[in-house]
Amino acid sequence: MSPQRTYSQTQPSLWKARLTLATRSLRQSWTLFLATRIGVIGLAIIAFYALLAAAHPILMMFVWEERVYDPVVGYAFEETRQPAPPSLKHPLGTDPLGRDVLSQLMFSARSEFMLGLLAALVTVSIGTIVGAVSAYFGGVVDAVLMRLADIMIMLPVISVLVVLSALIGVEHFELAIIIGIVSGFGATGVVLKSQALSVVVKPYVEAAKTAGGGHVHVIFVHVVPNLLPLSFLYMMFTVTGAIFSEAVLSFLGLLDVRMSWGLMIHVTESAGYLLQVTEYWWLIFPASLSITLLCSSFYLVGRSLDEVVNPRLRQL
Amino acid sequence: MAHYLVKRSAQILLTLFVFLSLVFFIVNAQPGDVSSFYALNPDIPPETRERMQDLFGVNDPLWKQYLVHVRNTFTGNFGVSFSHYPRTVADIIRERLPRTLALFLTASVISFYLGFALGKIIAWRRGGWTEYTSTIGGVTLYTVFTPWFGLMMIWLFAFRAGWFPIGKFLDPVLWRDAPTDANAIFNRMILSAIVVSIAVFALFAVTAKRRMAHSRLIRIGGLALSALAVAAAWFATGTGYLAWDILKHMILPVATLTLISFAGTMLLTRNSMLETMREDYVMAARAKGLPEKDVRDRHVARNALLPIVTSFVFSLAFAVDGGVIIEQIFSWPGMGQTLVSAALTEDLPLAVGAFVFVGVFVLIAHLAADILYVYLDPRIRY
Amino acid sequence: MHYMTRAGAVRAVDGVTFSVERGQSLGLVGESGCGKSSIAISLLKILPDSARILSGSILLEGVDILPLSEDEMREYRWKRISMVFQAAMNSLDPVYRVGDQIIEALELHVGSAPSEAVERVRELYDLVGLNHSFIPRYPHEYSGGMKQRAIIAMALACEPAIIVADEPTTALDVIVQDRILREMRKVRDALDMSMIYISHDMAVIAEVSDVVGVMYAGRIVEFGETKDVFENPIHPYTRALMSAFPSVTGEKRELATLPGEPPNLLAPPSGCRFHPRCPYATEECRSQPPPTVRRGVHWADCWNPPEDQSP
Repeated sequence: MSPQRTYSQTQPSLWKARLTLATRSLRQSWTLFLATRIGVIGLAIIAFYALLAAAHPILMMFVWEERVYDPVVGYAFEETRQPAPPSLKHPLGTDPLGRDVLSQLMFSARSEFMLGLLAALVTVSIGTIVGAVSAYFGGVVDAVLMRLADIMIMLPVISVLVVLSALIGVEHFELAIIIGIVSGFGATGVVLKSQALSVVVKPYVEAAKTAGGGHVHVIFVHVVPNLLPLSFLYMMFTVTGAIFSEAVLSFLGLLDVRMSWGLMIHVTESAGYLLQVTEYWWLIFPASLSITLLCSSFYLVGRSLDEVVNPRLRQL
Repeated sequence: MAHYLVKRSAQILLTLFVFLSLVFFIVNAQPGDVSSFYALNPDIPPETRERMQDLFGVNDPLWKQYLVHVRNTFTGNFGVSFSHYPRTVADIIRERLPRTLALFLTASVISFYLGFALGKIIAWRRGGWTEYTSTIGGVTLYTVFTPWFGLMMIWLFAFRAGWFPIGKFLDPVLWRDAPTDANAIFNRMILSAIVVSIAVFALFAVTAKRRMAHSRLIRIGGLALSALAVAAAWFATGTGYLAWDILKHMILPVATLTLISFAGTMLLTRNSMLETMREDYVMAARAKGLPEKDVRDRHVARNALLPIVTSFVFSLAFAVDGGVIIEQIFSWPGMGQTLVSAALTEDLPLAVGAFVFVGVFVLIAHLAADILYVYLDPRIRY
Repeated sequence: MHYMTRAGAVRAVDGVTFSVERGQSLGLVGESGCGKSSIAISLLKILPDSARILSGSILLEGVDILPLSEDEMREYRWKRISMVFQAAMNSLDPVYRVGDQIIEALELHVGSAPSEAVERVRELYDLVGLNHSFIPRYPHEYSGGMKQRAIIAMALACEPAIIVADEPTTALDVIVQDRILREMRKVRDALDMSMIYISHDMAVIAEVSDVVGVMYAGRIVEFGETKDVFENPIHPYTRALMSAFPSVTGEKRELATLPGEPPNLLAPPSGCRFHPRCPYATEECRSQPPPTVRRGVHWADCWNPPEDQSP
């Protein structure tokens, strides 16, 4: 029997066993997660914004007239003065350019989610591979990757993005990739490496190596799966960072995006309504609060996952 | 200890080179050369443009350009600013760096002190009402949208209450007939701040060593006395009102930056304390019959400090970014605001110059944290 | 004493009574998790937040320390009762010099001036056999055995009436362990203090204690003079423990290992707590708490004690 045949036979059962274990620990973790309370609050906020994001295309298709409610080029013709205060037709009023604030808010929620998800995926893919490779090979590979990580950790991301925006046009996609690279090669990679160090010394990794498994095989089949829970935790923190950076940059007017929460405040600022907080509250609060809430919700979920993963923080 | 510090310094120097290479790579990945940015500005005469081409060696091979880039960094020669023509980048940075340092260092010291003290207390009273509110408050401050938070601070304390000026560095009306220019005054202010800090630090060191009975009284008294002496000196020279004006402009941004960064330290201190409290030597300290306060401060907090200093490097990038945002919101003419406005006007030499300085600043802070760590942890010292 | 956990209250120590005379040394022996260390930290009232002493009394020179406030209790700690910790490696604060950590206790309780305190630390180092040059050094510069000696020196600093030693030699190799045990016995005899010696190692207990209590699942199941307990054990658990360890005198015999694990104290077994693992268990053992069998001061809780073989 060739070694390849053995692999293809054992692999499904290995994954099946892993899946059973995963579901069992998942159920256990879920109970612990629910007990942390802050995580539940975070999850509720995320669900709320996910609903808003999902509802937007439906509303645009069936309820809202496009030339009035389009978040970028719409105009509230029936209002005599812009920005108009909240009304039945425009529950959160309109912005200085006559666009519906609620529609902008809901439209932006979707792009924030996509941005956060993309940045988190890039971060975790890079971070997991960097961590696993660095721990598995050690030596020069480890040294080079960790020096690089030192730089990435010290890079003030927003300042980097500010400079980059002067050089190249930064949109959501570039933003997500840059954040993913900085965080994946940086802090996330380092944390996952320290976890991977405890994995590579496990007997089954040694066994897989002795059985003739190639480096790639051992890393992806035996090391990486054991890093996934922690990776998931760090995805949450990356999402917070990505949404925050996006909001700051578009608030500063440095991002080439059509609409986002940060841009909504930027428009308010350029039109000179920034300090009329009580008179024009709908121009400032919905967007600012949304940024804060969504950022903190992912942070809270991350924190409570941290408590689930790291029992030393738990209260007895 | 020397071995450790040399090793760390070498690593940081290496990091600096990689960082400079990254900057070089990013700038050179653009179509055209640096001088083509100058071509867009009609105010800049062609001679200047040629001088720039010489300075950056754009016609040389790439490796030579790289060496020129490194040399320019070390000599502080970043060319002529495009939006502040004809001022050089170095000149602008020389003016603005102290302003940023003053803002950033003051806020960092206060926020560290407060965050550590509060984190200590909430970790000690686990599960209580205090912990709940401060954790919620801490998380809110930690994740709040910084520009909005700064805005609310301005609106509340400057716009509505009128206690502070709305942003900027000074009040131009007040300074119209001023005998000296703002930079001279500001440099003198920094000098007095350094003198006071050294005096206070010496006082703390002396009282800590002797474990005197009235150490708290002596410390507070000394602090008040030195502050009073400095204030008296300022008013004696007749420029006190100008210094006061700058100070007034500084309070709100410092307070905002402090509030934002103190939450991170507080949450971190809490976690670090909770982990340290499980150590055996803490139980031993308690068994020795030490009062709770001594157990907490001398044994738990002292050891909990170590991971906090380590993670200072992690939080540094966060704090620098916070500083950039706060400077922009408060129109505080420091490095952060320079960076943002340079990016907005596509003033590439200034943006790169400011960014390199931000990077160098982070590296120096990293080295400072290393030295502090050596001082705090005897296991490394020997 | 109970530990409050998410799953309910754990009765770590339950209905334990013993007393130690001045100059006497008591050994507590049992498997890990049977409540030995819980007794130790209860005696100094340095319980973690999750633990409570629900009832009982701890008399120290006639004073019940349980109702004492934290402030009053601090006066007793170290001065009257001190402790040698289980993990000597980690019981010294890594950021302070060892000498300073001993002086810290001295200044607090004896109120000695700095120069006197240093002199006293020198005496203590002589007593436990440590070189004076190590006084101003940090814990990481000490070897394991030296840390243990330093910890003992620290425990002796204020001349307490009683020392609780919780597995003081477990982490050390046998030779160092033996030397430190001898050292401790010498010090105890010289200073005429009482000692409570806690270990899972029967051989160690046999060497250092005058009386011994065997603990199982939060209770003392057998108690008596060391000689009686070791020569004529009554409780099956004691017998099992003794056969689980090789005899120091080199007598060759089968090493019996004790099957099973100590019970879950969230729900202790009914009747005799040892019955699930006891080879002699009967119906009575399962349902009824065992009676106390007394042979002089030597006693044990068991339904089926063996014949008295003592002459």
